This record gives sequence, structure tokens and C-alpha cells, in this order.
Amino acid sequence: DSQKTAFLLRKQWTLYSVTPLYRFSDAHLRDYARLLSAFIAAEKQKGLAVEIGVELGIKVAISSLPDLRGSDRDQAAILVQLSSRSPASPKNSEEKVIWSGWFCSVSGDDFSENVPEDFTCLPLFLANGAESYTSIVGSWFQKTFDCCFRRLAISPLNLSWMAAMWTGCKVDKNVSAMELVFSVPHLPQPLDISYAIHPEDAKALWDTVQKTPGEITQEEVDVFMDCLYSHFHRHFKIRLSATKLVKVSTAIASAHCDGIIKFLQSQYLTGVLMLLTELAISQIQ
Amino acid sequence: MDETVAEYIRRTVLKIPRDEIKTMLQKWGFLSEAQLQTINFHQLKDNISQDVVQLCEENSADIKQAAVLDIIYNYIYPNKRVWSVYQMNKTGEETDFFDLTDFKKKIKRRLRSALKNVTVTFREYEDNAVWIRIAWGTPYTKPNQYKTSYVVYHSQTPYVFISASVLKSNLPLLCQALVVASNYHDIREMELRSHSLNSLKDIVFKRYSQNFQTYYPKPLQERDIAPETDLRIIQENKNEKERIERVNREIFGDGPQPKLEFAQYKLETMFKSDPKMDVLDKKEPFRCLVKFSSPHLLESLKSLAPAGMADAPLSPLLTCIPQKARNYFKIREKKGLFPGSFVSP
Repeated sequence: DSQKTAFLLRKQWTLYSVTPLYRFSDAHLRDYARLLSAFIAAEKQKGLAVEIGVELGIKVAISSLPDLRGSDRDQAAILVQLSSRSPASPKNSEEKVIWSGWFCSVSGDDFSENVPEDFTCLPLFLANGAESYTSIVGSWFQKTFDCCFRRLAISPLNLSWMAAMWTGCKVDKNVSAMELVFSVPHLPQPLDISYAIHPEDAKALWDTVQKTPGEITQEEVDVFMDCLYSHFHRHFKIRLSATKLVKVSTAIASAHCDGIIKFLQSQYLTGVLMLLTELAISQIQ
Repeated sequence: MDETVAEYIRRTVLKIPRDEIKTMLQKWGFLSEAQLQTINFHQLKDNISQDVVQLCEENSADIKQAAVLDIIYNYIYPNKRVWSVYQMNKTGEETDFFDLTDFKKKIKRRLRSALKNVTVTFREYEDNAVWIRIAWGTPYTKPNQYKTSYVVYHSQTPYVFISASVLKSNLPLLCQALVVASNYHDIREMELRSHSLNSLKDIVFKRYSQNFQTYYPKPLQERDIAPETDLRIIQENKNEKERIERVNREIFGDGPQPKLEFAQYKLETMFKSDPKMDVLDKKEPFRCLVKFSSPHLLESLKSLAPAGMADAPLSPLLTCIPQKARNYFKIREKKGLFPGSFVSP
């Protein structure tokens, strides 16, 4: 199970929200791959494509990832991969994946329930690879299924939630610090602050803050962050709450406010996807 | 001329901005003025460097001359490298007469006897500064001209600035050579690092404007804060704003700050919180690592309080950086009478 999703780990994924796809069917994935491949070739002809020296024809593969979902009520995740052979490598060599993108929905049933029959809900899209390919693939999906892609930014509020939630996760052999990165861009000379806490100490703090098992409240997240801010203020007299939280990194995953995520632990993959699905849905609504 | 030397010269010339190439070659002095006249310095850099290599070929350049060109380049563009500061100590009070020739001989001897293959080049500049370029080899391999360390030693001071590059394993040998050659006892690395060599010098030679603690503290002249140009904006707290500016000036001084890019603090202090909050109350330290980074860190920190993001005065952990001449700190809780204060070893 975790082997199939291992390729998702330790890669940087750019996040998008996607509105429901009209008349999409996971029985026609092969056809879609063919059509997308033709589209990419046509774009290349128009001179709109991409890296020089890469393509001797791009192969498109679209597949379903049935394990990536919250429950049976979620649509199974759909993976799109572009691969090609570099002109330098020999004829029979294997093709390398140069771009990946996948649609998914984890516990998005509240949203999908309220959507008419012909629509498929896969509100979260993750892309890894050149921006130009993301743009081409996105255009094709938008044209074909009448949907809309939008970059998914992550607010400091949501980043704080991730920091608190992920700190509380149990990880054996945790060697990664819990790191918060703040940015103060509007000064005459911009300033970046990295505040990394030993994972055991961060978890010890969170464990005393979180009172109700299995549930996290906004208040608990606020207390947790305030504790960290006041410890910092005690030393440096700087108010972190007045700066912009731009990145959160833990052993589970790391998230950047520009909507970039990295999954680091397969056992928590679905948990993180559930949170991201929620963010995507609220951006759509 | 050796092919590797030719390639090295070609690559060194390519690093130089086109408008500076002629001046740097003149400073180098290896090619005659007549030869330099034959080069078209308006053509592509690729072609300029080829022409230079051609002329060096005519003059039979060897690695020694090529190394001098490299030192000149690094002297003019030191900020491309990261420099660390070292301080040497001697036990006695005597200030020995500094014999440059003896110094150079001893350095070369120490390095060559250990490694057999090293390229060592010296160049003197104003302020008693000796620049040393070392290309490292091993007893079995020729020196790698692309893996070089640079040392700047001001002979009238105990300070050495080293840009070590990748081969950190040669650092102890280099330090040992410096200590022996300069008649000191030992050498220690200060926790001070930056790209800006001049700022590091400003800090250790105390060349920046400090806040001098005079015995009879005089109140600083009140400087009027520029009045708001937009009359619709009313300063609600004008007094506080003036206080912040005044405190900032007292701490940071009036002049420009030395240019550092980062400061790092390893915190091993206790976590303290409001007892009402009923949170963590451990007897062990709350371990953190804090890194500040900015194109000009001290100026950036100076602007935090006026921008409303920090208290004034800013914490001494930050404001002590130039005086303590360090930007790497380990902070522990001070035990005893004043539990709120910190110790930095």
C-alpha cells in the first residue's frame, strides 16, 4: 500500500483547487491520455512548448489511485504523468517521468454530495515539474471538462493549524525539528527568521496544551502558538505575531504559504490530504 | 604553457565583469601595456579570455602567475566567499617585529612538508594586510587550483580572516602554519562569519560607530522626527515614537552598521509561561535554534522597533553582535539570583 504512494513522498507539490469536472469518467482514462498527448504535441507545434532538448515526443499516462481517498464516498485519485526520453539517451532506454500531477479528494463528501450528477469532485490538484507543463495540462482539463484551476495559497492561520496538528503526531525516530519560518518583507532591509524547536520539546508543549483527545480547537492552536511567540519574545523582544508566517516544517510534512507541500511520512499522507482537501473546497466555495 | 594553466587563466578572466577586465590585467602586470593594446575589450568575454590566454602563452605563464591574478580577483570581489574570523593568542607581552619574508617562508615550509603538493601565493596590500592563496593537493596529487582557501592576515593584529572553501580537513594544518609563522601561541575560531570581509574587519577592528559609554552620560541631542507629510495622519503616540528613535540611536549608534547576513542562536533555556495557562512546566531546557537572515541584518534589526514589530530597546542578544564580534551564539539560562537573564558562553 505504502509502496504505491512512496513516489509521492519527499517531492515538492504545488497546490491548486479545482472546480468539479463535467462528464469525467474514470473508465475512459486511456482515451484521455491519448487526447492530452495530441494536445501537447499540437502545442509544441505552435511553438508554445517548453524545455529545449527534452522531448522526442512526450508520453502521457493517466491512471487511478484507488487507495488515495478518505472513504468510498470520495472519488479515487487520478494521476497524470508525462514522460520522455532525452535526445542524448539511447533509443531503447526507459523513459523518465518529467512531470506529475494528481487530482484527489479526501473526505470531501460534504462538498461532493451537493453537486449535480454529471460532475466529478476532485477539488485538490498537486503538480510537480515544470510550470509550463502544468499550464498545458491544466488548459486541457479546463477545456475538456469545463473546470477551473486556481493556485491554493495557505494562510498563516492554516499554517499554524498544521504546525500544531503535525507536532502532535507520533513519529518513531523523529529527527526533524519543528520549524517555523517568518518573513518581514516591508522593512528597508527584509528579514527572515527561522525558529526551529526540538521535536520532543515541541510535542511536550503541545501535549500539555491539547486538552480534549481526538479533537483540536482553535483556542488550543492559539495557545500553542502564543507560547512559542512569547518564548521568542522573552529572548529577542521581537513580536513574531506581527510578522508573516510563511512556512511550517515538521517530520510529517512541510507547507509553504504559496501553496507548496512536501509529504514526508506515508502513514500521515491521508491526514494531510484531508486538511488540504478542506482548504481547496473552501477556496472553491 | 601548461594546458591546465591556460584553462585556469581562461576561467578566471571569464569571472571578471567585462568592464573591469582591462584594469585587472593592468594590476596583474604580467602582460605588457603593448600586449594589452592588442586586445579588443568590447568583444564577447569568451573571445577576450581566449585572447588573454594567447598572450599568456607568448609570455610562458605558469601557475604562479595565474595564482596572482586569482588573488587580485578575490581581493577586489571578496564578498563572493564566506569568511570566518580567527583570533591568535600569545602568552608574552612582547610585540615581535614582524618579518614578512620569514613569515612567508615558514608558511610555505609547513604546508609543503605536510602535503608536498600545494600552491602558495602571497600578496601584500595596505593596512599591513597579507593575502595568502592556497591551492590544496596531497602527497600523491597535484594541487587543485579550483579548491582554494584564502587567508587575510593583518600583521599588526592577532586576527586572521579565512575563507576555507570545501576542504575543511586542511584547516587545522593551515591554522597551525599561521600560528607558527606569526610567532603566536595558539589560534581559535571566533563565532563570526559573513560574506562581507570589510564588515568583519569593521567589527573586530572596531571601525564602526559604537555607542560609547561615557563616564558622564550626556543626553543625546534631540533630533526632530520628520513631520508627517500627509496631514490626515495624526501620530497618536508621538512620544513613544520619539522614544523608540532615541533608544535605537543610543544602542545602534548613528553611523552605518557593519554588514552581516545572518545570526544564529542555539537556545537551551527554560520554557516559562503564565502559570494560569497550565502548560509545559519542565525542568529541562526548551531546545531551539533561531536563525536571522537578511541582506543587511543589523540595519534590518534596527528598523524593527520603529516598524512596531519589536520592543525598544531590542534584546541585548541581538544588539551585542558587533561588540561581542560574533554572530553564532549558544544561550543557556543563568542560574542563581537573576533567573531571567541569559548567559552566552
